[in-house]
Amino acid sequence: MRSYEEKIKDVIYNEEDLPEKLDINTLKYFWQLSPFTKSNKHSVPRFLAKLRVLQNFSDTELRILSKFLHHRTFAPDEVVFKQNEDGIGFYFVYSGQVDIFVPADNPSVDTEDVAEIKKHIVTLEKGEYFGELALLQENSLRSAECMAKNVVELLGIFKPDMEELTKHYPVVAAKLLQSISMIIANRLYSITREVGELKYKICQLEKNSGSK
Amino acid sequence: MEANKVNWKSIERLRMIFFSSVIVSIMSILYFLPRITIPLGISYLFFLILRPLIPWLRKLGVKEGWASLLVVLVSLFVVIYPIVKIAPVIGSEADRFEYYVPKIEVYLRTNYEVIQVEVKERTGFDIGDKLLIGVLTSAKNGAQALLLNLPKLLGSVVEWFFIIPLFLYFFLKDGRGIRDGLLKIVPNSIFEKYYNLTYQFNSKLGDYIFAKFIEATIIGTLITVGLLAFDVRFSIILGLIAALTNIIPYAGPVIGAIPGIIFGLVEYGAGSPTFGALVAVYMIANVIDLALVFPILVSKLVDLHPAVVVISVILGSQFMGMGGMIISIPVAAAFKLILSEVYKELFVAGRRL
Repeated sequence: MRSYEEKIKDVIYNEEDLPEKLDINTLKYFWQLSPFTKSNKHSVPRFLAKLRVLQNFSDTELRILSKFLHHRTFAPDEVVFKQNEDGIGFYFVYSGQVDIFVPADNPSVDTEDVAEIKKHIVTLEKGEYFGELALLQENSLRSAECMAKNVVELLGIFKPDMEELTKHYPVVAAKLLQSISMIIANRLYSITREVGELKYKICQLEKNSGSK
Repeated sequence: MEANKVNWKSIERLRMIFFSSVIVSIMSILYFLPRITIPLGISYLFFLILRPLIPWLRKLGVKEGWASLLVVLVSLFVVIYPIVKIAPVIGSEADRFEYYVPKIEVYLRTNYEVIQVEVKERTGFDIGDKLLIGVLTSAKNGAQALLLNLPKLLGSVVEWFFIIPLFLYFFLKDGRGIRDGLLKIVPNSIFEKYYNLTYQFNSKLGDYIFAKFIEATIIGTLITVGLLAFDVRFSIILGLIAALTNIIPYAGPVIGAIPGIIFGLVEYGAGSPTFGALVAVYMIANVIDLALVFPILVSKLVDLHPAVVVISVILGSQFMGMGGMIISIPVAAAFKLILSEVYKELFVAGRRL
């Protein structure tokens, strides 16, 4: 089926008379174009469809998943979670940026400078995610602190949602767990490689110091 | 940067104030409007019992709205059909019960007189009639008050028959929507803790109510069938009483056995084989409950010390009567959950930066 826009283009191209009145289709077309309507372009399933980790989800499954996500908004510098806190949620950054911190190696005792107490690890942007371990571990403690860099919108899925998803939509739950497993497997792989490289470096250092 | 910090903290404080005032308003509405709270509470209990059926129906391909409607209609049928069928039987049994009341009074009087004489002979102490008169008048007053309040009670029951299925349907259909709506206004700083605690509490309460419902049904059926087998009169009423009182932890089975045992004494006498069979039926049913049903179904769900259970049941009956006795255990479990959470937050080392 051809779109309304194409039909009108044909009419103009053939130099035929344009319809005098706006019909329902035209109104609908402009209504959907309006920046004030909550168009599909900005909806949560559309956002999820762009995420690489959720590639194996169909449109219907993404729509189901989006119903189980909680939309949370954080002000700049607001703490999303602290290190060592109990965690039950896995978050996607829907808009804005968040900073991830860990405690600095040797903070000076009487300092008040944030940069000296906490070490900035990474800034996560739209489409990135964090906190996936909380969904899988029994009593998960957050391994780092997360803070909003600017006004940030997060989509969170929590342990209770995961349980309900498993009960009501087992296929969607299985796919989500598969995605999270993939994320964790990738991280484990990179950590193993890093450990290997570090071991190699330590060996080299030991050899060098031995030869000296 | 500093300005921003103050800003988000003040926003969070406002969110906290707003959230607490919403919770307080909901609580006070529920407290001051018992006409809504009672059917709402009952439908919530039904919701907790019937909730597991929805995913099961969905797996069969029924859509969510239809599944909720089907569950409500089937449970309405399951509740109303036996009432319609059993009502005449219970009615006639209750009529006969009325005839038995004077008989019980006479029995109590004669036995009391025997005991009175015996006590006076042995100890020289006169008990007097006060005790017996006190017991009889309070029993009569209680029955009279029940009869006087019966039209009002029936009125509310008829009202509930319309309201409870409606509330139940909306809980089943829109339960998640209502919860998500409330979650939207939970402040960010307590969101994860609040969600986790309320979810755990609700699932504990649901499991507990479901297990208790099954336990009460098993005990009620066992006692009714047992009494029917020995051809004891009022077996259905006695079974129902045992099932209802079974919901009260520890004291329930004893309270449930009292009417049966008094009736057995009056009707058959202490030495008769039927009375022995009646006592045996109660004992066997309670042994099955204590040895099999309770450990398998209920005890794993409520991880509380028996002393805590007894204390919470007493406190519950003190503040809210019969209803308090039923909900005391889940409430105690919730308190334990919250306390352990606060303890972890405040005292467990290495959890704060």
